[in-house]
Amino acid sequence: MRNISSVLGRLVKSASISLMLLFAVTTTTQAQDAANGAALFKSNACQSCHSVGKKGVGPDLQGLADRREEEWIIKWIHNPQAMIDSGDEQAVALKAEYATMMAPYAHLSDDDIRDIIAYVQSEEQKLAEKAAAGGGAAGGGAASSDANMLMIVGLVALFVVGVVVIIALNRVTTTLEKVIVTNRAAISEAQAEYDQGGESGLVKFAKAFLKNKKLVFFVVLMVVGLLGVAGWKTMWNVGVHEGYKPVQPIKFSHQIHAGVNQIECQYCHGGAFKSKNASIPSANVCMNCHNTVTASEHYDGEVSPEIAKLYRAVDWDVDSRTYGTNTRPIEWVRIHNLPDFAYFNHSQHVVVAGVECETCHGPIQDMEEVYQYSPLTMKWCVDCHQETSVDTDNAYYEQLIAAHEKLKKGEKMTAAMIGGLECGKCHY
Amino acid sequence: MKENMLAMNKKSFLGTVCVAVALTAVVSACGDGTTRSAGWEFSRNMYDPIAYNPDQPNNNFENKITAQTPPEGTSPIGFERFEYGNSVEEYQRAGEELTNPLVVNQANLAQGEALYLTYCAVCHGNDGAGDGPITLDREVEDSRGKRALENFPPPPSYHQSAGTPSSRGGLMSELSDGKIYHTITYGYNAMGAHASLLTPEERWQVVMYVHELQKK
Repeated sequence: MRNISSVLGRLVKSASISLMLLFAVTTTTQAQDAANGAALFKSNACQSCHSVGKKGVGPDLQGLADRREEEWIIKWIHNPQAMIDSGDEQAVALKAEYATMMAPYAHLSDDDIRDIIAYVQSEEQKLAEKAAAGGGAAGGGAASSDANMLMIVGLVALFVVGVVVIIALNRVTTTLEKVIVTNRAAISEAQAEYDQGGESGLVKFAKAFLKNKKLVFFVVLMVVGLLGVAGWKTMWNVGVHEGYKPVQPIKFSHQIHAGVNQIECQYCHGGAFKSKNASIPSANVCMNCHNTVTASEHYDGEVSPEIAKLYRAVDWDVDSRTYGTNTRPIEWVRIHNLPDFAYFNHSQHVVVAGVECETCHGPIQDMEEVYQYSPLTMKWCVDCHQETSVDTDNAYYEQLIAAHEKLKKGEKMTAAMIGGLECGKCHY
Repeated sequence: MKENMLAMNKKSFLGTVCVAVALTAVVSACGDGTTRSAGWEFSRNMYDPIAYNPDQPNNNFENKITAQTPPEGTSPIGFERFEYGNSVEEYQRAGEELTNPLVVNQANLAQGEALYLTYCAVCHGNDGAGDGPITLDREVEDSRGKRALENFPPPPSYHQSAGTPSSRGGLMSELSDGKIYHTITYGYNAMGAHASLLTPEERWQVVMYVHELQKK
């Protein structure tokens, strides 16, 4: 179904693109400098809100020159508020449609703005060429339709092979039936001979096996050993979740986010700096990027199904760019889980000791799906604590040494001086 | 024939053991050591906390979430209230009225830099030129094949030398304390609100460090 719709979509797309190309060829004067326009587009950070071929904070600029007069665009960029105040219909409609009001860019000259329009047109052309050449959007989209094609061809091939096999088997049975009919006498003779033969091969083998006492002992020994080893290993692994890789509600890839995008671990897991838990980010943190990133170029202009799950959780409407009230939490499956009788504090390890996340969590930046890298057993903790030397170059140890010096001199130390008056000592 | 085989001599006995060991080694080397199953557990009740963890489901609340949003109008302990709304007018007002309460010193700047590199640099770039890694062309290769990742729209540069205008007026290099603080708190354009990621004090440390970048 999806395939058909994508084929239709592509047809429509290519038709509109060829129309657009025709239009571009016949009407472009291209006196304006698209390169200068590109530089201005970037240096004025237009791309923060606008792009060509996709709606962002502001409108999609594709087809800008077709839907608006050049004069209108120049006036709008110089002072959008003034145009709304003057009651310009298109300006008022824009104000109503978009939550964010565009700022005035009065420092841009009329020619600068013409350059920017030329740049937008050149981007439109590039987009059209890319679509015409690729027969769709970017590599991912093409790859997915290729896969669909492959599946269809494969299914047809499978069907053909199936039919051939059925025909061949039919032939074989008919020939075999003929053979039986012609050789009935010989068959019954052979049957009689086989019946007189007595015990089957397997029984013979078992009898011979049982006669060899050494071999029986050896096999029993092996089985006991095997069960022993397997049992021992299983017992040691009770409650150890090393390698645990549960299926998560959203296929979130740390390889993309932490590896390729180089987002710092604490951007999302900021709790590791401040508290016991590294904390799973609430979905508003995801939305800091995913309010614009939809990966739609890989899904024929639709939001990626995995990102759509996030939008459902926070009730985000992509078209109007607004949040609704029907939110529901994403129920991630917890991987690392220490028993409640063991106390572990992330901030102590990350901030005080300066341990890298990868030391315990392994190559997270390469994990498409996260699994538990370390055993998190007591032995594992103790091994590291026995080898790690403490950084004593700080105020805590200076005070500690100073206190010891005082004690050596025989100065009086009361319980109150070592925290004996803290409320929590008694009232916990 | 079979009887001969069963009467094992030492050689074939050793051979069998070798083959068995090799087979075990090969079989145990299969897989990548990960599993979908949590495995066996003993006395699960010793693992589960008596109190609720913040990320656990909770039937005591209507929305079944343990980590409840604090009631409207409350402030956490140690948090300075930010009495400005989320609008362009309030942004301008914050820009005029607010100044950084922290003293400019090495410790605050170092902390500001560390926070900037963690929370801002991924878009704004390590030195504020608006060229963070997610704004650049990049591709990933995983189980779904090799594909390009979508670029995040690059933010404008802070640098004085770039002279980039801010979309709410003035130059990026001339943004005042209050304006930067307002933007971190509420976000603007493609940037999301970072109030849940940075405490007020941390936001001021970042503001202090951004002023350093504006000088470039």
